[in-house]
Amino acid sequence: MKDVILVQRRIPRCSESQNQRKFAELRELARAGNYNVVSEVIQTRYPDRQYQIGKGKAEEVAELALSQKPAKIIFYNPLSVTQVYNLSEMCKCEVIDKFQLILEIFASRATTRRSRMQVELARLEYELPRARKIVSLLKMEERPGFMGLGGYEDSYEQDVKKRISRIKKELSTGQRDSENLRGYRHSKGFSLLSLAGYTNAGKSTLFRSLVDENVEVENMLFTTLSPTTRYLNINGRWTLLTDTVGFIEDLPHFLVDAFRSTLEDVFRADIILLVVDISEPVDVIRKKLAVSHEIFWERLEKATIISAINKADRLSSEELSSRLRSIAYLAPNPVVVSAKTGEGLDELKDIIHSHLPEWKRFTLELPMSGESMSAVSWLFEEGIVHSINYGNTVVMDVEARNEVYHKARSLEKRLSFR
Amino acid sequence: MKRIIAVDISGRHRHNSRYLMVCAAVSLSVSGGHVKQIHGVNIKPFVSDNPPEVVDVVQMIERTVEGMGGVIIVAEEGDLFNQPEWLSNSMFTASFKYPESLSERMGVEIAHHISLSSRNLLLDPRSWEPIKDNL
Repeated sequence: MKDVILVQRRIPRCSESQNQRKFAELRELARAGNYNVVSEVIQTRYPDRQYQIGKGKAEEVAELALSQKPAKIIFYNPLSVTQVYNLSEMCKCEVIDKFQLILEIFASRATTRRSRMQVELARLEYELPRARKIVSLLKMEERPGFMGLGGYEDSYEQDVKKRISRIKKELSTGQRDSENLRGYRHSKGFSLLSLAGYTNAGKSTLFRSLVDENVEVENMLFTTLSPTTRYLNINGRWTLLTDTVGFIEDLPHFLVDAFRSTLEDVFRADIILLVVDISEPVDVIRKKLAVSHEIFWERLEKATIISAINKADRLSSEELSSRLRSIAYLAPNPVVVSAKTGEGLDELKDIIHSHLPEWKRFTLELPMSGESMSAVSWLFEEGIVHSINYGNTVVMDVEARNEVYHKARSLEKRLSFR
Repeated sequence: MKRIIAVDISGRHRHNSRYLMVCAAVSLSVSGGHVKQIHGVNIKPFVSDNPPEVVDVVQMIERTVEGMGGVIIVAEEGDLFNQPEWLSNSMFTASFKYPESLSERMGVEIAHHISLSSRNLLLDPRSWEPIKDNL
């Protein structure tokens, strides 16, 4: 684990708890990036053009860096190229901001070719507006002439632009493949469920406790960054449950766009399980829920949101009900669960079942023949058979999706006419 | 279920050297994810020679929601010059907040379309089309 110093410039007259929460998020991100926080520096002032924090504070950070020798200094506030240059010159240490840290985390978790391309694209998009300035700062002492200053600046920027367009082209062909896969899954009768929520809400624990209960678990594990999808049996209906990368507060747009495919699983789902950590302070829960709603806004395609109120075991029942009341307007279809103890999971499954795309329940009468038997086994595969009676004819009580219903009806007609 | 009044103002740009603005307020019952019921709509046109300031915006909204019952007013951050929520809230006599849930955003979107279309209608009073007798 590498050592880091965290720095945050706070805006004057901004609420203290909000500042603390933002700093706590930076701390969590640093931990996720496998860093060890050795010091924290906070200053409340308006931004400085040269150093982001005041010059005196920057010198203080430089002294800290000299004594503690961290690998990096991480700023909460976005830094301009000049600020990064000035600070790293002063501190003799690598200086990055929150966005670069997020990029690093995603890069370290990206293992497939596709996710690596996405991280690269996000990094290039972040770098593009800074490309000219970076080169001009690096080549400051060189004199213009043949292949001089201007030439370098332009060629580097052009290079970045070319790489961006190449990656975008490659990603767009990949996009189509995964869209086809989703269409295929839908046509096969799978309803798509997605887990969404903040990084520490307990999404993965809920995912595990939901799928581990199933005896017939088929593992369709992708890589860490790519969503993890598994079969989940909800009261007889087969669904595909997807665990996704958690939300990060104030995620910049260039990152949201680059990780579209990760979030697209959420947007295209039939049901979204929005996982909420109820043990956090109410204002934090509210803020996080509001951000989740903002992410969903205008991107959802007819999805139902079910709020899984997680970590309920940490609170007393009175506390829990008062908190539920105060967040009710932001939490549609709330279900109290505890992913750890397994409490409330049955209720969650019931509510998921009631919101799944509707299936038709019908009675089917088939004559006794070999062809009918193959139809029976087909119906067992495609739907839920509630009852079956073998007499002179086969009478079945079946629940299935619309296409299966129509097929079965025409089959019934054809077979009984023979 | 919660009662809110979603508000939006259209026309905060100069038109023939004046500012012709329409404020629309929609009273709604909402749950977290859906708009359950629309109780009523108020529309009020305003005119000014100068660009509106925060105080003017607050006044316009309060005049429009008059008589709609004591519930929370919801308007977009941009309408109040991106002020922090506590500051905007303290300027209103009723309680005020920025949209958070999907349903609140949807409410503001409805108000936006109402104010925009009614402003278009007001700007073109000759748009009344006679129904022709085709028989």
